[in-house]
Amino acid sequence: MEEVRNNSGQNLGIAALVTAVITFVLAVIPCVGLVAIIPGIIAIILATVGLSQANRNNSPRGVALAGLIIAIIASMISLSQIFVAGKIAQKADKWPNNIQNIINDVQDNVTREIQDNNVSIKIESNGDKVEINTNPNKKDQEKTLEELEGGDKAKADTLNKKADTLQKKTGNVPRKK
Amino acid sequence: MFPEKNDVMNNRKVRFLNEPYLIINIVFAGVILLIFAYSGIFSPDKDSYPVVCIHQKLTGQPCVSCGLSHGFSLIVRGRIAEAYTWNIYAMRVFLFFASQLFLRTVFSVFYLKYPDTRRQLILVDCIGSGIIFFVAFWPFMVSIISGIF
Repeated sequence: MEEVRNNSGQNLGIAALVTAVITFVLAVIPCVGLVAIIPGIIAIILATVGLSQANRNNSPRGVALAGLIIAIIASMISLSQIFVAGKIAQKADKWPNNIQNIINDVQDNVTREIQDNNVSIKIESNGDKVEINTNPNKKDQEKTLEELEGGDKAKADTLNKKADTLQKKTGNVPRKK
Repeated sequence: MFPEKNDVMNNRKVRFLNEPYLIINIVFAGVILLIFAYSGIFSPDKDSYPVVCIHQKLTGQPCVSCGLSHGFSLIVRGRIAEAYTWNIYAMRVFLFFASQLFLRTVFSVFYLKYPDTRRQLILVDCIGSGIIFFVAFWPFMVSIISGIF
């Protein structure tokens, strides 16, 4: 007598297999791999229910088992992608601060380099040439300033005296600019 | 007594459902056909793809598979050179799906025609398809693995 086997759980097994294959295809593509976990869980549930029904009624379990294995592998790939995306997003939070630090460093370097160099500006228009040379060296500038403040005090005093005598002679008050 | 038509149909259905290999082949072929249909329906010129890169939305960084839908649509339309500009791996992934569609059909026919060699057939299919899969998806796997470590 032939053994009677019904197909209880087979339909669920096929549904699980379809979902699992779709999950697998989605999971291996990084763009959509993150969402593959949702059909993956659905496929695992369908396959488990199908497998338990097949066990209870002594019907073939192959399809449900294949669906379960593919769904588990696909879900694991998808989970790993979620983990990767999380790591990248975590790094991305730090990137703005890093960029700000890099910009500050570059700015400092440029300022330091400019301080020790001569700056020359040439303007040419209708045959006329104007050339401005300057040395923004901080140390030189400080030296010049000290010289101006200290050494030229006497000159400044004489200029004031001359202005006073001129005022007395003419009676005009020198205009301030 | 001749068996009734319904009984014959039911027997065939039961026999078919007892062959998980054939069901897997049909399901996979169906999914591949859906992918090709998706590539054919949505035009690369209109750029109206419903699937967006979730990875890029979350991280702000484009992923290794960005532009794959565009690439597939262009390959289906025969614009292969353009497909390479959208995604450099589009062609090899497309070839994987195309080869699988062909292999599912061929292996299913062989499975039904030569029942004595079914075990060997499944083994060859698993190894062959596995190798093709690894070759086609290797860049994607590298990106996932390098992201973990």
